Amino acid sequence: MTASTSSLPAAARAPRSPWRARLTAWRVPLSILALCLLPWLLPSQALAVNVLIYGLLAVGYNLLFGYTGLLSFGHAAFFGAGAYVTGIAIGQFGLPWFAAMLLGVAFGGALAFLVGLLSIRTRGIYFSMVTLALSQLVYYTALQASSWTGGENGLRGFTVSTINVFGWAIDILDPVKKYYVLMVFAAAALWFVSRVLNSPFGAVIEAVRENETRARACGYDVERTKLLSFTLSGVIGALAGTLFALHLAIVPLDILSIHTSGMVVMMTLLGGAGSFFGPFVGALAFLLMEDVVSLWTSHWQIVVGTVFILFVLFLPKGIWGTALAALAGRGGR
Amino acid sequence: MDAELIAMQLFSGIALGAILIMVALGLSIIFGMLGVVNFAHGALFMVGAYAGLWVASRTGSFWWGLLVAPIAIGLFGILIERVLIRPLYGRSVDDPLLLTFGLGYVLVEAVRIVFGSDGIPFQTPPELSGVADLGIGFFPVYRLFVVGVVAIVLVLLWLGLEKTKFGLIVRAGAKDPQIMRVLGVDIAKVWLLVFGLGVGLTALGGVLAAPMRNVNPEMGALVLAEAFVVTVIGGMGSLLGAVVAGLLVGVAISMTALVAPEMATIVMFALMAAVLLVRPQGLFGKKSRA
Amino acid sequence: MTTPLLAVENVGRRFGGFVALEGVTAAFEPNRVTAIIGPNGAGKSTFFNVLSGVMPPSTGSIRFKGRDITGTPQHRFAHLGIARSYQITNIFPELSVHENVRVAAQALRTRYDIWCNRAAMTELDDKADAALAAVGLAGRRDATAKFLAHGQQRALEIAVALVADPELLLLDEPTAGMGPEETKDMVGLLERLAKDRTILLVEHKMKMILGLSDRILVLHHGRLIADGSPQHIQTDPEVRRVYLGQNDGYA
Repeated sequence: MTASTSSLPAAARAPRSPWRARLTAWRVPLSILALCLLPWLLPSQALAVNVLIYGLLAVGYNLLFGYTGLLSFGHAAFFGAGAYVTGIAIGQFGLPWFAAMLLGVAFGGALAFLVGLLSIRTRGIYFSMVTLALSQLVYYTALQASSWTGGENGLRGFTVSTINVFGWAIDILDPVKKYYVLMVFAAAALWFVSRVLNSPFGAVIEAVRENETRARACGYDVERTKLLSFTLSGVIGALAGTLFALHLAIVPLDILSIHTSGMVVMMTLLGGAGSFFGPFVGALAFLLMEDVVSLWTSHWQIVVGTVFILFVLFLPKGIWGTALAALAGRGGR
Repeated sequence: MDAELIAMQLFSGIALGAILIMVALGLSIIFGMLGVVNFAHGALFMVGAYAGLWVASRTGSFWWGLLVAPIAIGLFGILIERVLIRPLYGRSVDDPLLLTFGLGYVLVEAVRIVFGSDGIPFQTPPELSGVADLGIGFFPVYRLFVVGVVAIVLVLLWLGLEKTKFGLIVRAGAKDPQIMRVLGVDIAKVWLLVFGLGVGLTALGGVLAAPMRNVNPEMGALVLAEAFVVTVIGGMGSLLGAVVAGLLVGVAISMTALVAPEMATIVMFALMAAVLLVRPQGLFGKKSRA
Repeated sequence: MTTPLLAVENVGRRFGGFVALEGVTAAFEPNRVTAIIGPNGAGKSTFFNVLSGVMPPSTGSIRFKGRDITGTPQHRFAHLGIARSYQITNIFPELSVHENVRVAAQALRTRYDIWCNRAAMTELDDKADAALAAVGLAGRRDATAKFLAHGQQRALEIAVALVADPELLLLDEPTAGMGPEETKDMVGLLERLAKDRTILLVEHKMKMILGLSDRILVLHHGRLIADGSPQHIQTDPEVRRVYLGQNDGYA
């Protein structure tokens, strides 16, 4: 029997009111507009870049958790793999930045495929445990392979200062320019995710989330569907990782830790799993909270953790999901 | 490589496995009964170690720490079940998992606030330090002690499950929760106790492990992963599976450390991957828990 | 003689030491309604699960249109032309009624396409609307499935099965849990469907079965104990013995 994760998404569900349909149709341009304005609305450039990168990671994660109903606790592995491979490709092989990014995304995607292949063999609650354990495997492998990854010290020495786009040199040490360069990739990924959600496959993953047994009886190969969703989600995560590497020019080992995996889960849930804007809203809320709370205490995690617990208990649809539901309720069902 | 070294390493593995058994058993009992995967389990292990440390330093006796900490943390577990987890029954199975993950996050930070971020060495109690000659080699007394304590706990647990009414209810309930309602058992009370028991076991593991590991707020993360590996290998909800897989993983880690130390942590994950490929339900798991 | 649509030969299924189904042999001609009856635990559900690929048979073989399909994975069955409904309502609760049916129709056309716009596949929308109209749910098209009344959810399940235009329709207790009104509607729907489809159904409501079926199979302790026309089954001494004392409205 498949337990439907019905406490999850509420967005994009019929009956559709006209404003909701319009919001869905314009979701990519609206997101890009918001991202364009972000550096000027937030207290710091650094915060804006982080929202961009972690927001993208959460968007990819949401494809799996929010839309396919699979609670992975190992997404740090693909994020980290993207970052490490990009850094290694630039620093140790001297690859140009774009080729390095491609390699990072491809490697992260391949890793996601392998992890997915193993973890999807298990059912239900096992899935979360196995993804967590396998991401720990990646963490300890990176720790031991220190000649490649720098081990505990992290990966350094691959700073990209200018990038050439069709003969146009952009100085990405300038934070504003860097932000907009990274944003182009994030925007492209958002457009891609939106396309996936509108595609036939987008309907299949929601069907699998709602009722595996029924989806199978309809003629869908549930395992293969999950694997494809897992891999796509890992590819987006790896892309976010390559942006992280370009941004910081170092890759700390901590990027692969359970904290990173957990953070993505928290962001997605805080914002609203299963809604398009939710993950970015969640990343923004999480990082703002971190920023503000750490002004008066270094123990911001206790506040963030408590807020998260309260959300699980009382607002499982997250900020955006709850807002949508409230607006839909006002519009009259 | 001489036989004595291998024997010693094998024994280290059993001692390590004994700790893993405590953690994985707690996890498995809670899951078997409540259907909840406790993601705060690693953090509670860490809290158990700190509680043992604190009680021992206050009373000047390791023994008080060993006795008091698991009980206190077990009671804390009961509180957690009552206040935080109970409201989530009937909702998606992912919700308790998410909540306990957040709880683990909070616990780690709370311990940082109280005890600081750095690790604290935990002295092996003098009466348990040193080595003992067992004829086939010299073994650290403390590790022998750990294996002994875990063996006693396992026997008590087994007796409790097999011979008491509470045990009967737990075993029946793990097989089929519907039966509980039919029999008119106050299921809420049983869940409360089982959650407390499971948390108490991991806290005991924490106290026992404290003199063998560096006690620090982050120590729970690896333990949680280890417990998951053991549970996946053994089969979720199977107590025998937790025991066998715990020993297997412990020995695998310490034997690998002998030949290739850098692979020691990695080998258990490889073991898990192999089991998943051959027998996704785990060595002692039932085919599907529908 | 023409090849039957579905033929099972010596089909059995065991769970560990328990034999749920044993040595069932039967062939099903097209455009007939066949009911499968039997006391609780007779093996009806197991038989259905084997026929719909939920589990492979432990022994024997299944042929569909002359082709051996024993051991085919369940998700292939819809593509072969076999659709089923479940005894316990089995829908996509959070999706709209229309989307429930549309996604089922989509399975036969595309499954892993991550690029095209599914809104442009209007023929799937039309198919879904047609199936909803056939079961009388056109008016609830945009409702969220979980908010439907029980009888409507059962009808939705039939629409989900129907939209694939299956040659063989397996219905597991389509009127389970329904009141008299809802049952009447469902029987009307089944009568309409029966005109040009092959239907196998498991049911307990005996009057309904006698009115609807061309043929009845009786299972008891996992074995096929009778197979024939409703008139024949009503007078079969073995069947009478099995049902004796059971008040199924049979007499």
